[in-house]
Amino acid sequence: MFEFAIFFFFAAVAVIFALVVVLHHNPVVGALSLVASFFALAVMYVLLEAPFLAALQVIVYAGAIMVLFLFVIMLLNLQHQPEEPTRPVQQFLGYTSSATFLIGLVYYIVKYAAFTALPAGPFNSDAGLIGAEIFQAYIFPFEMVSILLLAAIVGALLLSSRSVGARAQ
Amino acid sequence: MIPTHWFLILSAVLFAIGVCGVLTRKNGITIFMSIELMVNAVNLTFVAYARQFHQLHGLIFVFFVMAIAAAEAAVGLAIFISLFHHRETIDVDEANLMHW
Amino acid sequence: MPFDATDIVLSFLKIAVVLGALLNVTPIMVWVERRGSALIQDRPGPNRVGPFGLFQSFADALKFILKEDIIPEQAHKWLYTIAPMFGLLPALTTIAVIPWGLPFRLPAKKLFGHVFFQGDYFFDPIVADVNIGILLIFALASLGVYGIVTAGWASSNKYSLFGAIRASAQMISYELALTLAAVSTLLAAGSLKLTDIVWQQTQYFYIFNVIKIPAWNVFSPSMWLSFVIFVVSAFAETNRLPFDFAEAEAELVAGYHTEYSSMKFALFFMSEYMAMAAMSALVATLYLGGWDIPWWNEPQVWWASVLTMLFFTLKVVAILLVFVWVRWTIPRLKYDILMRLGWKVFLPLAFVNILIVAFFIAKQWI
Repeated sequence: MFEFAIFFFFAAVAVIFALVVVLHHNPVVGALSLVASFFALAVMYVLLEAPFLAALQVIVYAGAIMVLFLFVIMLLNLQHQPEEPTRPVQQFLGYTSSATFLIGLVYYIVKYAAFTALPAGPFNSDAGLIGAEIFQAYIFPFEMVSILLLAAIVGALLLSSRSVGARAQ
Repeated sequence: MIPTHWFLILSAVLFAIGVCGVLTRKNGITIFMSIELMVNAVNLTFVAYARQFHQLHGLIFVFFVMAIAAAEAAVGLAIFISLFHHRETIDVDEANLMHW
Repeated sequence: MPFDATDIVLSFLKIAVVLGALLNVTPIMVWVERRGSALIQDRPGPNRVGPFGLFQSFADALKFILKEDIIPEQAHKWLYTIAPMFGLLPALTTIAVIPWGLPFRLPAKKLFGHVFFQGDYFFDPIVADVNIGILLIFALASLGVYGIVTAGWASSNKYSLFGAIRASAQMISYELALTLAAVSTLLAAGSLKLTDIVWQQTQYFYIFNVIKIPAWNVFSPSMWLSFVIFVVSAFAETNRLPFDFAEAEAELVAGYHTEYSSMKFALFFMSEYMAMAAMSALVATLYLGGWDIPWWNEPQVWWASVLTMLFFTLKVVAILLVFVWVRWTIPRLKYDILMRLGWKVFLPLAFVNILIVAFFIAKQWI
């Protein structure tokens, strides 16, 4: 019974703060609302018996990626940029198409996603088990992701250094 | 136990909100944040299915998606900073050099 | 999972004890800081308000409550108001997974005609013993950055923003070194749960098969490097000297809390001391054996548990005194040296330490 209360509360939090991200004009408020939404999603992961992923979600997404977003917004002083309102035709098309998309998705989920009962017993998703799986079956993607992160770091450093821009001028 | 399709519906709602953000806003950073919202909605779907079938593969996929999303956010924001240095604005409508 | 009224009442009791202890840390630490700094600097310190200046904290609290609460005109009102609350988040929540005493058996008791604690009821003095113990601490500690960044930005003041960005860059850099240094202790314990880490430290090392020393992680040579890295990173995480660029009096006016007054400033102040206490509790748990009393196999009864709680408090107090001592001894590091230390020195050394600990475990020396 408590699980349903927690689910509804945090689902509402996630959806409301996601709406704030999309609708508010100030990107700093949007970034902080996204952090709150990610935190609510981490609670969802705990409800889905994956506490390791919940901790990872908070550490990686809410604790690192969003800090990066906030840094960029604050260092470039982006909150003072006046954002021109979107043209009405783009707004109308955007809202209606995403609403249609949502209605279609929910309809198909409710109609077709009737699952069999959950398997009995707890879901063993310990850090140890996930680690064992990663280092045995998924070792190649693991190493590839580390090389990808290296490429991302080098790329980010090169792209954001000012000398590139000055030379292009 | 909470039925799995409730989580799928929540994921669909978050994904649709992300799509709305990408289509409607002109502020580049807000579009970026909506993309991250979409990625998270998909992560929720993966974890819901992993719990439904009691398999770890969904969780490991989410693990990799998080790592790659971090890399993507870093590179994307670097591109943004570079765009900002050139154009002094983050309005994506202004990045129209290749427009006809 | 089925839980009944006894569980709920005991949980509330545990929360009350932990919160009471943590919220009382601030006034006590304020007094210790001021008298301790006075001792180090060879001056009297506050000695007028009550014996030995003991009521100075109450006087400070009264001053904070009665001061006028000013909100700058240009500040973003909502974010300015909730920023101090973000600062409290890591301190108050990370203390929930730290074990502060020996678990003991509560015997069945007959009170008011109803039998309580039927069967084997173990009272575990930890508020939430989750499977991912230490990851929760790292997750919530990484949310502490938002308090500083939001406060600096919402103040709409150049110095605040500057101080906030420097402080948050420092915090996220040293989080990495902190996490990796703690991984060495996790390797030795073989589990993410902090209770398992403490139980592993209740065993003993036998040197030359004769001398028996408690298996605290600080006594194991493979972990000395990670102990140093962890303690120094704990200083950086809580923004204490020699890493206090967030506040940097005489450089940035007061850094990210320049524009804050009265109760909001008091909240920042409190959150700093509570974060210090939580970090000290974490150092005590990971390296100094938690609640373990050395050279004594504690029986799992209530009086032994109370003694272990006392010992834990002593260890935390000792580390807090070290915090105060270092603050008034070592000068502030220059910012680029600080960042270089975090990325180029501590991070590689933490990796090296993981390799050393793994080697020791493979050779079964741990």
